[in-house]
Amino acid sequence: MHVDVSQVLKIISLLPLSLKFIIVSNILLILGFIIGKLALYKNENAVKFYAYFSVVICVLFTLYFISIIWFSISNLFAGNAVYSAIFPIFLFLPFIIGHFASYEKVHFYTNIQILTLIVSLLLALSFI
Amino acid sequence: MGQSLDFEFIHENKCKRAVLLFHGMTGSPFEMKKMGRALYDADFDVFCYCLPGHGTSPINIKTVRWEDWYSDSTMHYRELTQKYDEVFLGGLCMGAVLALTIASEYREVKGIISLSTTLFLDGWTIPWYNFFMPLGLHTILRYYYSFPEREPYGLKNEALRKKIAALQKRNTEALDNYPMSCIYELLKLSRFAQKNMFKVKAPVLLMHAKEDDLTSTKGSVFVYKNVSSSIRKYIELEDSYHLVVMDNERDFVFNTSIEFLNSLSAYAPISNKKPVFMESEDILNAR
Repeated sequence: MHVDVSQVLKIISLLPLSLKFIIVSNILLILGFIIGKLALYKNENAVKFYAYFSVVICVLFTLYFISIIWFSISNLFAGNAVYSAIFPIFLFLPFIIGHFASYEKVHFYTNIQILTLIVSLLLALSFI
Repeated sequence: MGQSLDFEFIHENKCKRAVLLFHGMTGSPFEMKKMGRALYDADFDVFCYCLPGHGTSPINIKTVRWEDWYSDSTMHYRELTQKYDEVFLGGLCMGAVLALTIASEYREVKGIISLSTTLFLDGWTIPWYNFFMPLGLHTILRYYYSFPEREPYGLKNEALRKKIAALQKRNTEALDNYPMSCIYELLKLSRFAQKNMFKVKAPVLLMHAKEDDLTSTKGSVFVYKNVSSSIRKYIELEDSYHLVVMDNERDFVFNTSIEFLNSLSAYAPISNKKPVFMESEDILNAR
């Protein structure tokens, strides 16, 4: 299958900045959680290292939340009420998951978190 | 492992007054032992038990909730009230919050020693990226992230600091980090305690280091201003950090606590009966 890179770049350049931010932060968060879950957090002794890794995830979460708010508001003015209504759900999901999570089921809830991030990424991509 | 760290100092002749001590967050009864010994020497029976999740492996502390700490502490308190005429409570850090919470529910608590009361995490060793804490606390990240414990380990005394650092590497007597899930539960306990602080009627002695590295004096001042106790005293320590029961002024802390408890006890030796403390407005008004 031939992928026209110039065509892809052209499409990306036409995307709203807020959507680009959602896609980038989403991909980085998914990768961060997967790497963290599979490799980093298994080492209980590397406290300092995964403390800083968690801070990076927090920064990405902040970026993700800001871009969702930005994207939702700009869509509201652009007349895309559906996106404005759906995307804010992803603002609350990490906190809802966090509320129900427990240490015993941390891997299960981490998977749920990754899954919701994938869904929000697919939704963001569907806008293209 | 946890149970081996518990201690009970009981006099042979039947003593009528007891002190139940609570250790701090991620600590163990080890840190209260010197205080326990001092109180025992002053004719109190003294008890201190490992709080759920503490004194074992760092993983166990992530599985407990604040209700577990509270129900376990309450159970020990109720057991002592069956055996003793007077039961006093004392605690350090989170232990102080537990003591105050129990006193808000049980009016018959005879007196409280509240040391380095940790209602807020706002000390000077809290990392610079602390502003992310709400995000870490309320998402799945709280089960992954831990605040690394760092110098000065709550101690101004440098010789002691080295010993404690070595103990923390073993992760039994004390942990070398504060798991975020544990902080989450502490802050929930703290909110519950703050809400019920007005119900505390028992006499309270508060001691807090001016330079506390983990929690500022704000917590103790909050308690001082919000309890309904007619007898209350607030002392700021000049030469200690968070672990006031181990640091440079520990003897002052022990002696002041004993003097305070004796002033409230009907079984105190006559020579030790001194007028009770009343106010600390001078310190608070100076702010």
